[in-house]
Amino acid sequence: MPTILAAETTQAADATGVFALSWLLIALPLLGAAVLLLGGRRTDKFGHLLGTAMPFAAFVIGVVQFVAMLGRDPENRTFSQHLYTWLPVGSFQVDAGLLVDQLSMCFVLLITGVGTLIHIYSIGYMEHDPDRRRFFGYLNLFIAAMLLLVLADSYLLLYVGWEGVGLASYLLIGFWSYVPEYAAAAKKAFVANRVGDFGLSIAIMIMFAQFGSVSFDGVFAGADGASEGALTAIGLMLLLAACGKSAQFPLQSWLGDAMAGPTPVSALIHAATMVTAGVYLIVRSAPVFNGAPDAQLVVVIVGAITLIFGAIVGTAKDDIKKALAASTMSQIGYMMLAAGLGPIGYAFAIFHLLTHGFFKAGMFLGAGSVMHGMNNQVEMRRFGGISSVMKITWITFGLGWLAIIGVPPFSGFWSKDKIIEAAFVGEGWRPWVFGGAALIGAGVTAFYMTRLFLMTFHGERRWTDDVHPHESPKIMTIPLMVLAIGSAALGLILGPTNALVHWLEPVTGAHGEEAPVLSVPVLTGLTLLLIAVGVAWAYSLYVRQPVPEVAPAGSVLTRAARRDLYQDAVNESLLMRPGQYLTRFLVWFDNRVVDGAVNGLAALLGGTSGRFRRLQTGFVRSYALSMFLGAALLVGAMLLVRL
Amino acid sequence: MSALSVSATFAAAEFQTPSIEYSKLMPMLIVFGVALVGVLIEAFMGRTGRHQVQLILSIAGLVAAFVSVTMLAGDNQIAAVGAVAVDGPALFLQGTILLLAIPGVLTMAERSLDRGGVFTSAGSSTPGSEHERVLTATGVTQTEVFPLTMFAVGGMLLFPAANDLLTMFVALEVLSLPLYLLCGLARRRRLLSQEASLKYFLLGAFSSAFFLYGIALLYGYSGTVRLSGIAEAVSSNSGSDTLLMTGTALLAVGLLFKVGAAPFHSWTPDVYQGAPTPITGFMAACTKVAAFGALLRVLYVGLGGLAWQWEPVMWGVAILTMVVGSVVALTQTDVKRMLAYSSIAHAGFILTGLVATDTVDPDTGAVLGVSSVLFYLLAYGFITIGAFAVVTLVRDAGGEATHLSQWAGLARRSPLVAAVFTLFLAAFAGIPLTSGFTGKFAVFSAAIAGDAAPLVVIGVVMSAVAAFFYFRVVVLMFFNAPAPDGPAVAVPSPLTTVAITLSVAVTVLLGVWPTQVLDLADRASQFVR
Amino acid sequence: MPLLMPVVLACLLFAVGIFGVLARRNAILVLMSVELMLNAVNLNLVAFDVYLRDQLLAGQTFTLFVITIAAAEVGLGLAIVLLVYRNRETAQLDDLHQLREDDPGPPDVRDDTRETAAR
Repeated sequence: MPTILAAETTQAADATGVFALSWLLIALPLLGAAVLLLGGRRTDKFGHLLGTAMPFAAFVIGVVQFVAMLGRDPENRTFSQHLYTWLPVGSFQVDAGLLVDQLSMCFVLLITGVGTLIHIYSIGYMEHDPDRRRFFGYLNLFIAAMLLLVLADSYLLLYVGWEGVGLASYLLIGFWSYVPEYAAAAKKAFVANRVGDFGLSIAIMIMFAQFGSVSFDGVFAGADGASEGALTAIGLMLLLAACGKSAQFPLQSWLGDAMAGPTPVSALIHAATMVTAGVYLIVRSAPVFNGAPDAQLVVVIVGAITLIFGAIVGTAKDDIKKALAASTMSQIGYMMLAAGLGPIGYAFAIFHLLTHGFFKAGMFLGAGSVMHGMNNQVEMRRFGGISSVMKITWITFGLGWLAIIGVPPFSGFWSKDKIIEAAFVGEGWRPWVFGGAALIGAGVTAFYMTRLFLMTFHGERRWTDDVHPHESPKIMTIPLMVLAIGSAALGLILGPTNALVHWLEPVTGAHGEEAPVLSVPVLTGLTLLLIAVGVAWAYSLYVRQPVPEVAPAGSVLTRAARRDLYQDAVNESLLMRPGQYLTRFLVWFDNRVVDGAVNGLAALLGGTSGRFRRLQTGFVRSYALSMFLGAALLVGAMLLVRL
Repeated sequence: MSALSVSATFAAAEFQTPSIEYSKLMPMLIVFGVALVGVLIEAFMGRTGRHQVQLILSIAGLVAAFVSVTMLAGDNQIAAVGAVAVDGPALFLQGTILLLAIPGVLTMAERSLDRGGVFTSAGSSTPGSEHERVLTATGVTQTEVFPLTMFAVGGMLLFPAANDLLTMFVALEVLSLPLYLLCGLARRRRLLSQEASLKYFLLGAFSSAFFLYGIALLYGYSGTVRLSGIAEAVSSNSGSDTLLMTGTALLAVGLLFKVGAAPFHSWTPDVYQGAPTPITGFMAACTKVAAFGALLRVLYVGLGGLAWQWEPVMWGVAILTMVVGSVVALTQTDVKRMLAYSSIAHAGFILTGLVATDTVDPDTGAVLGVSSVLFYLLAYGFITIGAFAVVTLVRDAGGEATHLSQWAGLARRSPLVAAVFTLFLAAFAGIPLTSGFTGKFAVFSAAIAGDAAPLVVIGVVMSAVAAFFYFRVVVLMFFNAPAPDGPAVAVPSPLTTVAITLSVAVTVLLGVWPTQVLDLADRASQFVR
Repeated sequence: MPLLMPVVLACLLFAVGIFGVLARRNAILVLMSVELMLNAVNLNLVAFDVYLRDQLLAGQTFTLFVITIAAAEVGLGLAIVLLVYRNRETAQLDDLHQLREDDPGPPDVRDDTRETAAR
């Protein structure tokens, strides 16, 4: 489609020099996966090392490219690499190519950087697992697919990566598939993702029908003059895809169950990278959404609902990983909300995505470290007082905690505060509703993250008798430290200077300064106040209230447990009930209306199928009769069409 | 056609030796030659080592024939006094059939899965008889399957190349008769196998009677059996329309029977289920390729001037075929039957490409209806051969375990086999990056170019329905718990392994890198007339 | 010679053949009916040949081919019917319906490894 390329204003340079190596970013981890998965037991000895080396090599390439990109003018930072022509059917052809620009560069660095750290961590975490090599093979497969997703230059290739990360995610959630529940969790994730993928494939079909192209260039060029209806349809379908992949309302349910996978998987796939693919999709499709305000509004609504929903769920979970998963859902809700705001929010969505990648991965790995020391327990009610025995984990987790609740000057403060500010920009009811949601969400986040942190690391030791917590080995704590430094400092580097906003401007488009409906200092003050309230409340509930000494008899333990339950009941009646009613309604809706329609269709097809089947009696003479009737029909039809 | 020219000399009373371009017919001559040598080996060679010799000879013959096809590539002429066309579609399909026959023969030769092989020790022995017991104990097996297969392959090579209806009829019978026999030679479940054989034979003979009647009527209409002569008669509109229309319809019955299109599909599930699985795979892939080639040639070369008349009828057949295949497959409980219905559905998809008729791509000059069908047949053939080869691997004490419930949890027993089968199912369903997607894309875009958009809509909907039952099997294999007494996955000899690997490679290659083959199909899309 | 009569006769013969295939239960009789259909076509071919005064005598030549192939087909068909008869002691087509849409029942145990009397 050279004509469309020519019509583009921002043209991508052909990838030369270090950018010509872009394909290696994908090829290296893919090679790693191939060697590890096809090599079988022979690669057991060095599998984990090879598996770690591949994303690291990709990371090095990414950094070199990043530096090279910094050395160029902002408008000349886009590179395309043509890989090959996939389908040349007549005048239409589908090319497979890579697009390296500022946006994909952010993701490349995040995926390979955090990915490498998590690989290193996994060497220690999975040390005693007999299938460690297979685990690394899947991880490498995931890295390759995720890089393909963010480097693709067309929706079709993006779709390939999209399916690839889904496959890797499914394989990793079910990694311990000998536990039936885990297999069920894998199945749930599989199904929820299919719904989203369906949306993406429909979106691609509409694009093809509308613009005759599925490449980013072609679609964005076509989006300029397209009707708003078409753009809205595409936007909503893309949103459906994003909801499936990023666990957004109403397709959020799989993420909690996905925690069945090994913890590094939760950190890499279900916190830092894959689940943010939906945000990437929406930011990447900015030209489509900019032309479809209705679709944008739906994105914002979905984001707002999810951020509140996730926060509420987070307050009630006792399983440390599930609480973190709920928090992930909620934080991605923030990103979605920002992405739905349009050019004003795109950069902040990515900003929050990056900082979140660091602090959430760090906290998941920290949780993994705790579990490692606690015989793989996840019940926070059996934690408590771990800070004294696992110092490094405690400090690194603490930094992540400060970052996520948004305490200045840690990362989360800079990114989340920007989103809240952006949400308050606008006219009419919107800034109040969406900004309010973002603001309240920040308070609830502070509450449940503090609860999680305190229940795990502080207060009474409520350990079961057989655990003897100990700090994890160096190979696990060093990645924790690196991530903690990122959680603490990344925001400070990118936030006050607006470096990231300027960096992304050529991709997401510039926007003028608009003042929020409340002045910025007021908003920041309000946010910090709500955060302080959340922290204080959690502190009063989980530390201030005395937990009696562990008595010789079990009865005191029981009493302590009862008190916990009591607190939960309060939480529930205040916060969870409405959520539960809503959930129940949604389940009802899902069962009755959605399933009803699906089942009706299935029954219709099944009935037809059965009727047809009855013709297949096994009697050769009835077959001959059907053939004879068919022949008569054919002759009759031929004679008829002649008339 | 030598016989025609001989009779011509009879009338003209002056003798002239018909000129036959043997070099142009080399692929067929090689295959028929190998088949004849195979018969001689069967008659005269000692029992020991006969199996190996037959296998090597067959494979060598197929490879040699394929090489000679590639050497003929680019030819565009009529050979053997007008009886055989050596043109793009014929050569492409001959190459496809030969390539497909290689994994087909390899799976037939597999002997490590079942003691003594897939086929009965002697076709004439009764199951459970003393004769059979002795044969099994001594491990003696007749190997006539190889020459039979080669005869069938020879017929298949001639079928899409036949340029007159007499040659086409002969080719039809030459490819069918050995297949009728091969269907009845299963070692296990012999009664089902023989039942399949008898059903296939009776219905096949029934359909060839229709085919023949159609030929007779067309002959009566045009005074010739040569396709070009019929085309001339059609364009000059001489003769009775009733003869022409009825003849066309009856001719189509015979060909649609062979491709397994509704409403002439009823034999397919029963025969596919009963026949020995390697034969089913061979039959499902190669027969379909050959029969579609013949259908294309008849409709495009002989009856191209009649396209206005047969197109709506073919629309109807395509729709009915897609619907019947996809919908009935939904409720199948047997893997082989499910694949049979899937093959019916695929016949429908191919028919959608075929009705694009003479729509020519303005850029490449390719005849879209032909090139897309050529590509689809190649892609579909390898998926089918591979899928049926995988079916032979899942076994319990009673032989192959074909009931779907027995496939539950297969991924736990053998992730590799489950993954390979998933690949084939995904290709059947038309998932991108598999050959199935490229094929569907080709036929559907050809149909759109040929103004058959409604057909494409139905095709897409039916693909979605079909995807459902394919993925039901995937879900079954990966998410369900295996039954405690479920089947095991047998480790095959290199023969089957090579066949499956080849199929996987082609399926992936044609999905990821289809450019070259699509170009080849484009260039091969011109019929010589 | 008027074309109509042989053509109508052939058509009737063909119809009789079809009727035989549909109505007969014995495999041999069905086979004979198919042969009748082929011969009806032969009649047709020869009639057209004569009517058209075909220089190449294509119709007559075709008839020879059909006769040859029909002979091969009958030979093969009888072999298959005989095989089925030896194993089941019946050539009634309506007894052969194990292969059908419903589950064909438990796998047939009469494979080569077991001693089972034929039905």
